[in-house]
Amino acid sequence: MAVSISEQVRDLLKEKMNRQLLYYLDICARCGICKDACHIYRATGRVEHVPSYRAEVLRRVYNKYLAPLGRLRRDYGEVTEEDLQKMYEAAFTCTGCRRCMVYCPFGIDITWLISMEKAVLSSFGRVPEELSMLADAAVEKGKSIELYREIMAEQIKSYEPELRARTGMPEASIPIGEKGARVLYVALAGIHSILPAAIIFNLAGEDWTLSMFEAANYGYFSGETSKAAEIAKRIVDEAEALGVKEVVITECGHAFRVMKYLAGGWLKRDLPFRVRSIFQPFAEYLRDGRLKVHTQITEPVTYHDPCQLGRNGGVYEEPREIIKTICTDFREMTPNREKNWCCGGGGGLVAQTDLENYRAETGRLKAEQIKATGAKTVATPCENCRLQLALLNERYDLGVTITAVTDMLVEAVAVPAAKGETAEEISR
Amino acid sequence: MDALSYLITGPMVYLSVGVLVFGMIYRIFRWLSVPASPIRLGIFPKTQGVSRTATVVRDTFLFPQVAEVNRRMWLMTVLFHFALLGVFVGHLRLLGRFPGILEAKMSESAHLAGGTMGVILLIGTLYFLFRRFKSPQKELSLPEDYFLLFLLFAIILLGDHLRLFGHIPFEVYREYAYGLLSFRPALPPALMDSPQKIVFVWHVFFANLLFVYLPFSKLVHFAGAVATNGIRRG
Repeated sequence: MAVSISEQVRDLLKEKMNRQLLYYLDICARCGICKDACHIYRATGRVEHVPSYRAEVLRRVYNKYLAPLGRLRRDYGEVTEEDLQKMYEAAFTCTGCRRCMVYCPFGIDITWLISMEKAVLSSFGRVPEELSMLADAAVEKGKSIELYREIMAEQIKSYEPELRARTGMPEASIPIGEKGARVLYVALAGIHSILPAAIIFNLAGEDWTLSMFEAANYGYFSGETSKAAEIAKRIVDEAEALGVKEVVITECGHAFRVMKYLAGGWLKRDLPFRVRSIFQPFAEYLRDGRLKVHTQITEPVTYHDPCQLGRNGGVYEEPREIIKTICTDFREMTPNREKNWCCGGGGGLVAQTDLENYRAETGRLKAEQIKATGAKTVATPCENCRLQLALLNERYDLGVTITAVTDMLVEAVAVPAAKGETAEEISR
Repeated sequence: MDALSYLITGPMVYLSVGVLVFGMIYRIFRWLSVPASPIRLGIFPKTQGVSRTATVVRDTFLFPQVAEVNRRMWLMTVLFHFALLGVFVGHLRLLGRFPGILEAKMSESAHLAGGTMGVILLIGTLYFLFRRFKSPQKELSLPEDYFLLFLLFAIILLGDHLRLFGHIPFEVYREYAYGLLSFRPALPPALMDSPQKIVFVWHVFFANLLFVYLPFSKLVHFAGAVATNGIRRG
């Protein structure tokens, strides 16, 4: 007899069971307090958006097959194709912000249950195509790196005149994969993530080199942990081969968390280098006078804590420190830091094109929060957040400028761009 | 004594307490026997040492963050659980005398304190039950949730009746409990001949059911909440 879907899910759950997951499956009281903490449920009021309800199918399988006395529970039924579809929608429409974990009286991490659901779905081949393809592309790139090195070097070279103009340093450069450098900088794909940071590193006289790889990890979003580990491993291997002391991750929420807190666990070893978010050295440069601020921004500015960088990564203060140094009118959103509202773009949602209206709807609380600050500029490090905030800006008529913190810093410390060209324009 | 009353207040009590104790040992052992994932799931900011412990204790017993998002639920939950703790401590008097002046003080205030806590528990149970009739809690609920609330409601209602309208001296209950402890379970004559007997027997019966079911239900959260709150701050 063929193995039923329920049994397949059961076997996978059994194989991948861990203590945290078991606690969560056993003790969730289904009290529903998490719904009050979730920006998605608060915006839509739909049952399937209650955080604990996202684990409903998984919990049903657990209760029936694996819980003590589960065999006596005959009221749960079999897992059907529709249930798998339900699980898919539950798993891939959550931003993974973990705000519900802050408010749960037990501290249950719903995303830990969801990551199990993603593992189940991936075993059935049900992963959002966009995310899976992006992950595969990254894995492939790791295999044929030499091919990319020259293309990348050539591209980067074409930005050196720009870099030299903005730093006023004729010898400024963007070294790629240089052995013996102190810092390995891991950027996102695209010059917008490389040039502004390169300007700052050069101005501060940092001993740095650029990674061949991009910091984003789509394996993490798709929930395919083996791919996620492989993508992270490319950077770990590169850092080890170059012998750097420190890996600095660009302005990106999940990339920092992945490298600092997850990669070691996935690869089952301690990483032989320090991992920091770009804000940490940048704030140091400002503090130590290695960067001189010549232009301050006087318009009101607010800062959005990306969930993966803040609540899940612990970087709250350094970006604020930088902004407060270069802006005269900084305004906090309420609530902020670990209680900040998710913008609605995380968890790979912005890469899933069919979710645009969903994102617009579920970003309502964030839009209201921004409006309440009266700020003209919203600075935020995460690229997914910025894409989502741009959508909210348009749909809710916020009339704000959305910017990366590094771009603001460049305007404050670098040589002003010629012909009214700003770093932001360059970076697009 | 009739056979049913004897079975419920005697052998069934031993059995259900046995299931409760060994069931909980099994559950805790089961948690600890599964390897923990090396991934740290804690959120930030992190605290270390004593302040981390203090935070975990605060989170577990007071969960103040809930008050920010759902004040009514927070209030009811905190009141309910503290009343539960109070009633539990009150029932401990059955098993022995509290030291010194404490015993006299507790005896003096038993009617008022026990009654108040009993009423809070009753209101709390009804509140928890009624909110499950409403979406989205309705869809979120499993049969277990209603079953547990029904059991609690029955135990509390009967207990409240005994406390507030029973008029049976505490010593009578203590005599019964001492009988249980010395493995000679029997209902004392004062209880046996009282019209409250039936209420008492049913109170014990539902409590027995709760004890038996508890280790296999979500109520194991009483034993796991410190651990999961620890994970959040880890």
